Amino acid sequence: MRVRPAVIQHWLVPLAVVACWEVFGRLAELPPYLSYPSQILAALWSLAADGELPGAVAVSLYRVLAGFALGTAAGMGVGIAAGLVTGVRHFFDPLVSFLFAVPKIAFLPVFLILLGIGDPSKIGIVAFSCFFPVFVASRQAVLSVNKRLLWAAANMGAPRPTLFFRVLIPAAAPQLFAGFRISLAHAFIVLFAAELIGSHSGLGVLIADGEDAARFDLMFAAILAFAILGFVSDRILMAIRKRMLKGTALGTEETIAA
Amino acid sequence: MTGQIRNFVGRWYSIPLLLAAWQLAVSSGSVNSRLLPSVPQVAEVLFAEIRNGVLVYHAGVTLGRALSGFALAAAAGIPLAAVMARSTLCRNLFEPIFFFGYPIPKIALFPIFTYIFGFGTPSKIAFTFLECLYPVVVTSYFGFAGIQTRLIWAARNFGASQWTVLWRVILPAALPAIFAGLRIALPVAIIVVVLTEMIGDSIGLGYYISVWSTRFTFQNVYAAIIVIGACGFVLDQILVRLCGYFVHQGHNAPR
Repeated sequence: MRVRPAVIQHWLVPLAVVACWEVFGRLAELPPYLSYPSQILAALWSLAADGELPGAVAVSLYRVLAGFALGTAAGMGVGIAAGLVTGVRHFFDPLVSFLFAVPKIAFLPVFLILLGIGDPSKIGIVAFSCFFPVFVASRQAVLSVNKRLLWAAANMGAPRPTLFFRVLIPAAAPQLFAGFRISLAHAFIVLFAAELIGSHSGLGVLIADGEDAARFDLMFAAILAFAILGFVSDRILMAIRKRMLKGTALGTEETIAA
Repeated sequence: MTGQIRNFVGRWYSIPLLLAAWQLAVSSGSVNSRLLPSVPQVAEVLFAEIRNGVLVYHAGVTLGRALSGFALAAAAGIPLAAVMARSTLCRNLFEPIFFFGYPIPKIALFPIFTYIFGFGTPSKIAFTFLECLYPVVVTSYFGFAGIQTRLIWAARNFGASQWTVLWRVILPAALPAIFAGLRIALPVAIIVVVLTEMIGDSIGLGYYISVWSTRFTFQNVYAAIIVIGACGFVLDQILVRLCGYFVHQGHNAPR
């Protein structure tokens, strides 16, 4: 079997980095805080075997998904309303353009006091930061829907709900998914920070514990688990997108970042 | 003139409305006034802390870090994207890093950065660089890759050198996409710096927020949030103006 040169080139840099990391790690040339790949995998295995990792993953995943679902639903609802109704748009535009560049994690203390240190405060802050990218994308998506599509459907006697669900939403769907994707990335960033700053459970705590105990293999294992979780969530979202947008032009971004 | 005023009021009425609702909620006593200080209290702290230079100092630290990381990412990312779009070898070498790395929450790597670069400014700049690099490279890559080959052929046909083609054809054609990438990366830079400052530092707006929130003095927290929001808004507007200045084909400029 011949391997295509493009495939070799694809894997060259990542494999070379991992190989160098492993070799220098084993030769004890690396500082002690850089555990090498086989150590990290062993730690990941032991964490998974004693049930600590599945527990932490379940806690973090629950928070991220609940927050994402709430924030996305709210962002999409308000965003679509803002795209359709000028009054709503004018109400939210200044607020969003002001708050967009503010790290939502800055509101964490407020959420912690309002909702306690458990799950609700994490879900709240994740939902809060997911709201903004989805709002911006939905507002823009509705505004940029080709008016001729709506006119044509209205002309053929489509009632308003049909216009909304069969014309507007499908036409806006590609941009809506772009917003979902950004907000999913935000969800993981905010959850990580929230768990590191104020929490008793979850993957962020596992990372902090590994760091405090100077067990860097455990810290790296938890980091790896967090990275895999984010990566897989994004893949699932992209798979859903592909299924739902079947038959539409997916756009050019498919090749690299999809 | 009256139309203009009405337009302005119609666009911005939500902010005074929200401030009024905030003030009403506080003075009616229905929310905890420690958690939500009144509007004049926040304004007083904001002006006092700006006048005595504390907020200005921390904002300077934060903005310096954010802009350094952002500038480094732009300086490294735009040429990298150009090379990736022009050379198959480079594309094959670097594509997986951006393909697999894009959805990974890179914040998880921040503890490693603090071990390599220490807790101070270098680790924050390095991490901001990494976070900004992804949107810059991925977005400008599409700008460079999407250039119509016809344009390059035409320029070559007229005897333009490689450099002339790069500066006069490729770069202007890719500029809208480059600016779109920069506009995504800029708020990311500010967010990431404040976030990492909250996780651990002794200077910067993130530190300021975490200190005053552990003291339950929320007027200072809100004052810092207002400063961050204002900085982000102003920087974004500067970027939009720059884009308007450099990008002449208005139809595909990012709006």
